[in-house]
Amino acid sequence: MSITNDDKTKPQARRRDILTAAAAGIVASSQSGLLAAATGGIPSIAIPKEVPGTLNEPAKASSFEGRGMSGAEVFAKLCKEEELAALFCCPGNYTVINAIAAVGIPAYGGRTEGAMCAAADGFSRVTGEVTACSGTEGPGFTHMIMNIASASAARTPLLVLASNMQISGDDREAFIQTGYQQPITEGMRKYGKRLIAPNRVHEYGGYAFRNLKSGIPGPVHLDFPGEVARARFTDASSLTDYYGKDKYRSESRPCASTKEVQQAADLITRAQRPIIIAGQGVFQRKAWDMLTKVAERQDIAVVGTGPTRGTFPDDHRLSASCSPDALMSADLVIFIGQYCMPSPGEYRLAPDIKAIRVNPVQEDLGRNWPLDLGIVSDEKNFLEALANTLATKKREAWVTELATARAAFEKQNLGHYELGLKHSAATNHLHPAVMAKEIHDFFYKGAIDPKQTVSGSGGWTTGLFAGRWLRANRPGQGVVCAYQYGAIGPDMAMMIGAGAAVQRGVGPQAPYKGAPVLVVTSDAGVAYSMFELDTAAKYKIPIISVIYNNNSWGMWPSAVSSARSMHMYLFQENLRYDKMAEGLGARGEYVRTVDEMREALKRSYEAASKQNMSTLINVQALKEFTSGKDYPPGIALNPEPGVGGFAH
Amino acid sequence: MGGILETYAARAVFKGFSRVGEDAFKMLWHRDRYFDLLVGERKLTIPVVLPEVPAKSKMMIEYRAFTAAFADPALVEHKRLDPAKVKLKVVARHESAGLEMTLAGEDWEYAVRKLIHVVHETYLVFLYDGAYYDYLIETFDLDPDHMA
Repeated sequence: MSITNDDKTKPQARRRDILTAAAAGIVASSQSGLLAAATGGIPSIAIPKEVPGTLNEPAKASSFEGRGMSGAEVFAKLCKEEELAALFCCPGNYTVINAIAAVGIPAYGGRTEGAMCAAADGFSRVTGEVTACSGTEGPGFTHMIMNIASASAARTPLLVLASNMQISGDDREAFIQTGYQQPITEGMRKYGKRLIAPNRVHEYGGYAFRNLKSGIPGPVHLDFPGEVARARFTDASSLTDYYGKDKYRSESRPCASTKEVQQAADLITRAQRPIIIAGQGVFQRKAWDMLTKVAERQDIAVVGTGPTRGTFPDDHRLSASCSPDALMSADLVIFIGQYCMPSPGEYRLAPDIKAIRVNPVQEDLGRNWPLDLGIVSDEKNFLEALANTLATKKREAWVTELATARAAFEKQNLGHYELGLKHSAATNHLHPAVMAKEIHDFFYKGAIDPKQTVSGSGGWTTGLFAGRWLRANRPGQGVVCAYQYGAIGPDMAMMIGAGAAVQRGVGPQAPYKGAPVLVVTSDAGVAYSMFELDTAAKYKIPIISVIYNNNSWGMWPSAVSSARSMHMYLFQENLRYDKMAEGLGARGEYVRTVDEMREALKRSYEAASKQNMSTLINVQALKEFTSGKDYPPGIALNPEPGVGGFAH
Repeated sequence: MGGILETYAARAVFKGFSRVGEDAFKMLWHRDRYFDLLVGERKLTIPVVLPEVPAKSKMMIEYRAFTAAFADPALVEHKRLDPAKVKLKVVARHESAGLEMTLAGEDWEYAVRKLIHVVHETYLVFLYDGAYYDYLIETFDLDPDHMA
């Protein structure tokens, strides 16, 4: 059965019917359990019938008729009109999440609010769409904090929702979970508001989407006291600013002047080796085709940066993502939509390089990186104007240098692989360079379309090695899970969210609708979101999770020369994450050799693509592989910008 | 000389910069460390580029090879050191690696800019591409909270 929660034609079940059915289910389940107990068997993991049953119910539009609309329903209606792409939540904030699900917005319920927040972020990172997450007022909301901060660093248009008690209970410590939320998200959101006036719920919904869809995106945090979510409205007259999105926000975007575009074109034309750093703004404005047009017009090198990879394909002849040796040769850098700005010295660019920066917000121009030319413009508008201004020019020497550098990078990676093979054979544990190369070959060099599989990686050791081998050959194909904020752990949940987007074929994922997704992460990281394999199984989102298991936190070398410290960096050895995955309804694979890795990938892909079944591949390694002295090359630090970059 | 170096401060390549004598400059630069640049007769010296590198260590040998490659005729011209203008050598002193650039003529701007490039590449290329993760941790307290 295919599970979706799109609108279907099945009649809406009445609440009493659902309760009756649920009760029957419990009885059936209990009977099944009793039967199993009686026969000595253990009941199988199963998806409750209410899951596909309720997902296939038709959407229900609320109205002012009869009992009218609740505040939550007014807000949900606005979310639907704004095409909110998906909601990821745990129960809590009940009236709001139920209303959002009821209007037909794809909704997913998972195991922890933090992981669901990461999943919402992941969905947005591979589509550019606005997504939401939700949790209950106290524990649920605070559990989301790490991943709200991650989304903020990534400039994700993430709508963070949470219930928040009742205003009438303020300062009385009435049960339950009292807390002021807004100060907690200070510094990690674009806009936030505790809604206290029920009749302004629509107005503040407008505030939320105006911020989510204008300028540089970022998380928006709304918290809903009970008086707002449960308020009833029988006509529109009591709701402030109750009008459509074309009235409360604008699609107008800043444009560079003709003179500024000409100045940029002149600098580019005069440069011998120009390079464009295409940041998240280019992806979010869906300006990838125009970016390619500009690059090809004058043989300009391009590196995509940001939390989403593939805005400029890694396999394009002008891509410098895999050409770190060429970066220092560039004599002009054009930052476009680079929201998270590095400082000189954080990017592998020459000290004499000239810089143009294009950004939609003037106040950010000149921050961190001194400018030769700063331009206030929407990314897409600028690229269109530049494409119309630039004369054609060939730079054969520059293109050759890019290709030479790409070959050198691949040779270096192969050198690491060869060393890794020796270490693997000598220890009977898989080296991370070998793991990463085998993944690369399976997804990009075999029978699978190299543009198909959306991947993400995280963890310290794992992320550094995998980053060198994972590729993004089209927009939205790669996620840098740890981007900038450096959170260890949201990776698996983030990629389940990305998997939900692929399952639905949203935006740039449309050509690959339903394909499996891949996450490569660490034993340290997996602890934060592994339980969401249950969620992936429940919604039949096929994810292949490769867990590099080196029995430790990646930064264990920091403890080597410190007394009484190492124990804090270590786990029990040889933990069986594959067995845990099986307990959550996914497949498990255990790998220690190259051949086992290859076979595990084949079986996992088969199960994912044919049965929508997820797999966790436990790659057993040794922490000592990190040491360059004992197992050269040790950790491979990745140059930025480029395929392995995650800081900016 | 000072004017050329100031252009790098103005580009935020240096985090801090000052003249500390008639022929000496101090730059706050990579890994938040101070680098001294001394001007001699047809000579520029940065006494400590990489600290804590023993003179006969494998790392010192590799660093000498890395810097020698800047004079390799096979290197693209815009990265190459012109032997008609400058010569570069690594100086091992007090358990550290320094750089000394000798001018063949009077093109001081060329020499300064090339020397700055080599130090920049030392930190952004040599230390990244080589097997120096342990060195970065032991010498510069590298960790994910302290990457640059």
